[in-house]
Amino acid sequence: MRSAFTEETAERRVESTPLSHVSIELGHLYMEDYAKGFEHIRAQFRLVAPWVETVRSSVGGKARVSTCFLIDDYFSQFGSPDAVVPMVIAAAGETGLTIDYLAREAGCARSGEVDVARLVLDRIVADPAPGTNGARPPLVKSGWLCNGRRGPEAGGFEAMGAEAQWHPPVQNAARRHSIFVDVELWDEPDGARVWSCPYLASVWQLMRLGLLRDHGKPVVRPVPAAETLPSDWETLPSLVQLNPKAQPFSAYRTASVLPSRFLPVELAVRTILSQVAVDPEVLHQVAGRAHGERLQLADELVDRVSYVFL
Amino acid sequence: MLIMGEVHTGLLRNLGELSETECREVLRLTSGEEPRTWQRPLLYAISPDVLTGVDCRLPSSSGARIRGTGTVSHRATIVGGRVLQGSSYTTLLRSDSDQRLPWSHYLAAPGVVEVYGRPRWQDMADGFVTPEPPMDVLNVGAISGRLMGAVQDSARLDRKTPFKTTRTRLRWLFERDDARGDGRPAMRLTLGRDTMRTLRFTGEPTTDVVAFCEDLALHDWLLTTLQTLIQRALIGTAAPAQIAARLSPAIDHLLHLWMPGARVEEPFLPFWEELERHPGFTRQWTSSVARIRDQITVNTLSLLSVTESRREADGDPSPRRGVPQDRTQSHSHPVRRRIFFRADQRSRRRS
Repeated sequence: MRSAFTEETAERRVESTPLSHVSIELGHLYMEDYAKGFEHIRAQFRLVAPWVETVRSSVGGKARVSTCFLIDDYFSQFGSPDAVVPMVIAAAGETGLTIDYLAREAGCARSGEVDVARLVLDRIVADPAPGTNGARPPLVKSGWLCNGRRGPEAGGFEAMGAEAQWHPPVQNAARRHSIFVDVELWDEPDGARVWSCPYLASVWQLMRLGLLRDHGKPVVRPVPAAETLPSDWETLPSLVQLNPKAQPFSAYRTASVLPSRFLPVELAVRTILSQVAVDPEVLHQVAGRAHGERLQLADELVDRVSYVFL
Repeated sequence: MLIMGEVHTGLLRNLGELSETECREVLRLTSGEEPRTWQRPLLYAISPDVLTGVDCRLPSSSGARIRGTGTVSHRATIVGGRVLQGSSYTTLLRSDSDQRLPWSHYLAAPGVVEVYGRPRWQDMADGFVTPEPPMDVLNVGAISGRLMGAVQDSARLDRKTPFKTTRTRLRWLFERDDARGDGRPAMRLTLGRDTMRTLRFTGEPTTDVVAFCEDLALHDWLLTTLQTLIQRALIGTAAPAQIAARLSPAIDHLLHLWMPGARVEEPFLPFWEELERHPGFTRQWTSSVARIRDQITVNTLSLLSVTESRREADGDPSPRRGVPQDRTQSHSHPVRRRIFFRADQRSRRRS
């Protein structure tokens, strides 16, 4: 006789999300850009537009492509959604771009009940410096993440009063010479934690790659845009679907068309992403789907993230 | 290819037994990730796997300097709401690269440490089970120990233990069947002089390797703890009431946890069967349990005889409710009665 016995509390249920082939980010603006008004924003989108076409054509005409735009409402809030969002949509539209999904940066810190930033923080496995053998807890400097071994503290003194000898910081995976990167993940100026821009941008990449789950459920789901937009940012859903015919928000890989001024931020993003261990079940799921579609999917997360810097 | 790990087993620092909900709270080590629990055949809770990055020298019996980079998986389990296990493990594989690669490469294959150069697996395996490896080699035991500490520090626990126990460590090493062909036994379990046990075994690698090692570590700890309780009870020397008091934690907290192989999948059951044949884990357990129950029975009978003798002294001939009269009478020897009474008084004062 064959018998089966299972317990629900013993099972892990990980929901899968719909996936496009590629998710294209249509640039990014700082607060001062919005302050400069419609003309300036349209000029920014005009720079982005031809490269979006290049990315589209590089993946083939039949590929599922979705576009997205991230509005920074975390570090400073300006205007109101009912004023800013239509302006952004119109500026993009005049350059031939359609924004399928609009996201709020604050949603990368917290989305509804989900502490998304914390979720990712708990999945960081710090890049170990040579000599790390597990005997001691990982060397972490609270709020910072680096890709190697830091140099000694400035102004540090060794025993007997001798001034500490300077040692250069070293990158763990250096190709002969180091490019040492040390990223601030957060600070707490008034006791409340403020996540850094690169940290939230890393969360943003993970969302676009469809790799984040909270208790097995996707952390954000696109909400169709309401007929009228709210007047305050908090009321706007973390992820709004502006185009009803859009392909899925998350994708096997991401492409971001960004001004070159974001290059340092994205280097920091890659430093963080290189140290995030995504739920193996989710990775497995996505890899299985890619295989089913006969797609080549990079094993390493950072290799699923690409850029066009303007 | 080698899989190596170390399981630490100890009593959870909490006076009461944890419920399923409490086990979940204590084992919630990663946000957004729920521990898994089982109610059958006994309460069992397991935390999500967590990773630790390592880049260090690997064990070697010849003292060769072999280096590896990758991650060690670790997880905590609570058995019966009472016993805590900290388990860490990693798979050693040969690296395709001669130099350290970007960290994202290693995170793409969690729980694997890549070995540079041409690995000598036997040398590494022998080095891993050495009682005191050099300070700078991979130390999975420290990771298990830290995990135990992190769980024991949970605010949900009252940090009191119902009785004293010792933490045991099982360092284990699993080799693929074809890695050796020297006719040596497929499994070798060694009880060290202290609390360290080592296990070397071979088979086809599956994820259940870890579950088998945790199951073995649990039952070895149960046996070790039961033996210690029996030794401390000073059977044959101390008074029956004292002996019973010292043995009662076994009845309250341990005896129901004995279920060897309950969480082990088919391919590893023959290993348990072998251990049952020699040295005979359950054989020793059953005999110890019988010994404990006999001691408790002796004490119960002696208490009954004390009650009887008191009643006789008070001139009350009626038997107490629920006490079989013939039994109490058969144990009312005057000398023993006096001794038991004193012991009874002593134990009361102590409590």
